[in-house]
Amino acid sequence: MSFEIPIGPQHPIHVEPIMLRLKVEGELIVDVDVDVSYLHRGIEKGLEVRPYIQGLYLAERICGICNCAHSLCYCLNVEQLLGKEAPPRARYLRLIVEELSRMHSHLLWLGHYFHTLGFETLFMYFWRDRERVMDMLELITGNRVTTAYNTIGGVRRDLPQEAEAKLRRALDYLEERMKYYEKVVDGEPTILARTQGVGVLKSSEAISLGTVGPHLRASGIRHDVRLDDPYSGHDEVPFNVVTHDGCDCYARVKVRLGEVVESINMIRYALDHLPSGEYRLKIPPLFKAPEGESLARVEAPRGELVHYSISNGGTNPYRYKVRTPTLANIFSVVYMLKSRGDREVYIADVPPILGGIDPCICCTARVLVTDEARRKRRILTLTDLRKYSQGGRRVRG
Amino acid sequence: MIWEILEAAIFPGALFILAVSLFYEWIDRKFYARLQNRVGPHLAGPFGILQPIADLIKLLSKENIVPAAADRFFFTFTPIMAPTLILLACMFLPIAGLSGLISFEGDLIVLIALLSIYTIIVYLAGEGSNNRLASIGATRAALQLIGYEIPLTLALLSAAISAGSLSVAGVLEAQIERGIWFIAGPQVIGFAIFVVAAQAEMERVPFDIPEAEQEIVAGWEVEYTGARLALFRLSKDLELFLLSGLGATVFLGGSAGPVISGLEPLLHAVYFILKSAVVLLIFSIVRAVFARLRIDQVISFSWRWLMPLAIILIILTEVLA
Repeated sequence: MSFEIPIGPQHPIHVEPIMLRLKVEGELIVDVDVDVSYLHRGIEKGLEVRPYIQGLYLAERICGICNCAHSLCYCLNVEQLLGKEAPPRARYLRLIVEELSRMHSHLLWLGHYFHTLGFETLFMYFWRDRERVMDMLELITGNRVTTAYNTIGGVRRDLPQEAEAKLRRALDYLEERMKYYEKVVDGEPTILARTQGVGVLKSSEAISLGTVGPHLRASGIRHDVRLDDPYSGHDEVPFNVVTHDGCDCYARVKVRLGEVVESINMIRYALDHLPSGEYRLKIPPLFKAPEGESLARVEAPRGELVHYSISNGGTNPYRYKVRTPTLANIFSVVYMLKSRGDREVYIADVPPILGGIDPCICCTARVLVTDEARRKRRILTLTDLRKYSQGGRRVRG
Repeated sequence: MIWEILEAAIFPGALFILAVSLFYEWIDRKFYARLQNRVGPHLAGPFGILQPIADLIKLLSKENIVPAAADRFFFTFTPIMAPTLILLACMFLPIAGLSGLISFEGDLIVLIALLSIYTIIVYLAGEGSNNRLASIGATRAALQLIGYEIPLTLALLSAAISAGSLSVAGVLEAQIERGIWFIAGPQVIGFAIFVVAAQAEMERVPFDIPEAEQEIVAGWEVEYTGARLALFRLSKDLELFLLSGLGATVFLGGSAGPVISGLEPLLHAVYFILKSAVVLLIFSIVRAVFARLRIDQVISFSWRWLMPLAIILIILTEVLA
């Protein structure tokens, strides 16, 4: 006998609305259907009706946790349109704050991940250590979460005098803690039992499903935008791309643990070699961008983030498009959740697998039309949306 | 007669047991929080000691919703049965003396049976609420029973074999006679098995599978609200009291200890509480240092490791006895 189990739109593992309809036979999942369209906020449209400088604030609010990546990607995009580049000091400061926010995101994820496995103690430990990172972000940018640090042509403020020493102390502390966590994760049998061999995604599958970020690197593939397309001093600051050949949930934990350590080393190097000089270009608040199009890529904590814009020479972008990493990774979740062949997936594996991609639903929502009268749902294709935007025929559900 | 009624109702009966079990919940929460680098309950009363009572009263005052699809009989009957059963089982424990309020040869078996019936009540509660998540949780509870029940029984039986008596009072008496607690012998294996199986019985990490919050929301108790949920919470506290008390009695000499004449019931109760608090702290540590297992892993763990260990223990006890 099989029946349907709803995971979402409201569920304790996820504060954001995502719907997984699991078709189960006992504890075994036989089919899964995913729906991410509970939270469409029209941000891309909103960016089209605002001047570039106002769009920055909106872009930063696409996602709370990777706000730094979004604002950086937006700034890089607009700077490309303008044909300008941030000064060297700004590039390094951007890198420091970006890596701090990556650490904050990864520590948050690690804590939440062990919470989904029922390991509350490790959850508390990780989040307590994350507070140190939040304090550092506050010290440098003035804000804990939504940093509002990047701006078009540089950063908004210079590194405060006392920040460097405090930052180094926090980094030393965190490095010690990460060593401890590595030991805990490797030595705890219940963690290994719940993560090893769970949610296996082989390298070839990961590529064909278009996964990005730590999720892809945990499938053993050396792909990182910071390496392939250095955008903010990453060609000058040395770092290792952390990969793992496990292809399972355990590999995902190890990759993120390793990336926090890498971020610590990157920030140390950037502090040692911080160039002097200007930290922002003088750009007037209201400006017209030359006609053209541009695409910027940033390695957000969750993976490759893409911002694309078209300018028609006005003060606002003509079109703006954001591709968030979770949208790229959600397909692999559907793939991993289905039992196939000897790969059995149980209901208890849903939290580690879904949590493994570090899902951020609020940036992912897509348009879905529901026809209440006929009880039909249909996702709009690109062609439909284009017709709709050109004022063509009315879209039917 | 009146004296006996007072004993059953107040000390060391129902009221005392309820008060101590709420106090134990506070110890458990506070200690667990300290292990996790948190403060824990700290608002109600000194050090938050009244927090479990405050929570209970709050839940009792909440709206009591019966889902339209639920089976009304089971939905009302199981929340009352759950704490009643556990309270009845608590009466077998020697608290303020060397034998429980109810004591007869073979009461250990009755106690184990009551624990199993409790799991059946949980199963009925889950299935009776007619919810998909509750149904999965209830099935998991019943499945888990297959895993831990036999090792738990064998661990307690090996102590009984060693004592040569099937009553709780007899096991305690044997420890007093020999002047040594059962834990200081081969029964230490039994104690380890008991701790693991008790953790599964109480549905605590790493065996909180029937109510795994992150997977099936609250499992079998997902539809229960208000007073019904309060009664289930209360039965969990009572279970914590029962199992830590049982562990202390069977393996740590329970209420036995040096006494001053005239103050016997009080001193016995103090020994009992101190020793069962030690068992309680062990339970809390186990809860804090593991991740939740999967149901198939629990079953295979208990049949692959706990069962053989329990059988070896029985053989060892027979050989040494």
